[in-house]
Amino acid sequence: MQGSLTIFRREFAAYFNSPIAYIFIILFLVANAGLFMTGFFLNGAADLRGFFGNLPIVLILFIPAVSMRLWAEDKRLGTFELLMTLPMRTVDVMLGKYLAALAFYLVALAGTLTLPLMVIALGNPDTGAMFSGYVGAVLLGALYLGIGTFTSGLMRDQISAVILGVMACFLLFILGDGAVASTIDGWAPGLGSLLQNFLGLSGHYEMMLRGVIAAGDLAYFVGLTVVFLALNTLWLEGRKY
Amino acid sequence: MIEVRGLSKSFGTMKALDDVSFRINRGEILGFLGPNGAGKSTTMKIVTTFLAPDDGSVKVDGVDVLEHPLEVRRRIGYLPENVPLYLDMNIHEYLTFVGQARGLSGSRLRERLDWCVEACGLRSEYRKNIGELSKGYKQRTGLAQALIHDPDILILDEPTSGLDPLQILGIRELIKSLAGHKTIIFSTHILQEVSPVTDRVVIINEGRIIADGAVDELSRGAMGTNRVFVGARLDGAAVETALRGLPAVSELKPLPAPAGCRFEARGPFDDDLLGSIERLARERDWRLTELHEAPYSLEDTFTSLIRRARGLKEVA
Repeated sequence: MQGSLTIFRREFAAYFNSPIAYIFIILFLVANAGLFMTGFFLNGAADLRGFFGNLPIVLILFIPAVSMRLWAEDKRLGTFELLMTLPMRTVDVMLGKYLAALAFYLVALAGTLTLPLMVIALGNPDTGAMFSGYVGAVLLGALYLGIGTFTSGLMRDQISAVILGVMACFLLFILGDGAVASTIDGWAPGLGSLLQNFLGLSGHYEMMLRGVIAAGDLAYFVGLTVVFLALNTLWLEGRKY
Repeated sequence: MIEVRGLSKSFGTMKALDDVSFRINRGEILGFLGPNGAGKSTTMKIVTTFLAPDDGSVKVDGVDVLEHPLEVRRRIGYLPENVPLYLDMNIHEYLTFVGQARGLSGSRLRERLDWCVEACGLRSEYRKNIGELSKGYKQRTGLAQALIHDPDILILDEPTSGLDPLQILGIRELIKSLAGHKTIIFSTHILQEVSPVTDRVVIINEGRIIADGAVDELSRGAMGTNRVFVGARLDGAAVETALRGLPAVSELKPLPAPAGCRFEARGPFDDDLLGSIERLARERDWRLTELHEAPYSLEDTFTSLIRRARGLKEVA
């Protein structure tokens, strides 16, 4: 645990050691607020559905770019060999790195809190739905980061890591889409709906936008995140052989 | 202290290590020699638990690297061939990070930081970003990282690669100053590196150990004969005949000389080659300009061993 904390501190500081972090956060905020505001006055409703609705797509591009450096950078620098010969388990190193990326994402997400403040000032929104929306946003980011951490571990260079990460996140997203599911059902009856229910994220995420935090949806996000982090650890351990 | 037994490792179809065994005792310094690609780094990566062997075992202080890797890592300071540095940190931040990751904190950490910075001569660049450091300073920062937790065992993969002669001298002095307290394996493909630092070498070629022992001992085995240089201000032909008459001389090679003559005489190690030439010179009342035994250099030994190893392979 002590080891994870040391890794966490170094990784979190590393984000802010370069101007890229600030550019990232600004881009993230501008993209989200911009997309949200274009629809906000047209809809004329004091809620954040537009913001949370865009998030799965925005994060597909944003998150893999946050996680791409986690392992790929260490492999390029040679520090991977240092990390893997420190007296701590691979899973401890992984957790330190993952949590640092998650903390970075939370910093960026905290920047969007101006949106609920504005909505509250302008109208009388359902604060419960806003809260559960943020819970969903955190869980969604955590899952994408798990995928991104995994793809970063597969790759030696960051560009491949980000491309693979975007594709994997997109796959998960598109599997939850009703049209895609029925098309797959057309080829192999039942398969599309099965994938949609088990892997597709839209259904689980939608519930949180509506203000419902159900155990099943929590289990989906947390479970799948753990699966990817476990795969990441296993892959890195397996490289020894 | 470190016991490597029957190590084998393949990468795909390439056999990197083939039945490698050697051992190092506490406080010993071992030079790990071999041409590039011989398997030095692979061996070190297995000893430091970065890689697992396909076959064989490594015990560090009696602890198996596969069974208790964390225990082994605690005892080892490791400088990989590609010096593992975070370029966005300065030396202070980097060494603090490695120190904390190795469980140091508080006054103990400060004490070790001080010691490492002093021993590796990093004081003047201490607050500079590692990305801006020269190659020599980067190498020394890597070395400081390996020493931060005061390990009993140091594993240094090509610690002097890419350094200028003065910097090499500095690293060599540092390694020497650690002798006796620490068990050290350092690898190199540059032979001059070894003899000033240690006596004990293991030579590896194409994944196999081809020699293990003290440098002198190895030369004896590799070259088979002792050699003596003789020079005199005399007529070459007469000296040559007389020398050839000695039973201890099995080979005699005339060498170019500015005045008089000069020879390289070889003979079995058991015979007193030098003594018998000395007696001959006294009997004949020769005025010698030169008479000394010439130990083989590490280069001679090394090339002869490698050549022999390759030759054997061709025959087989």
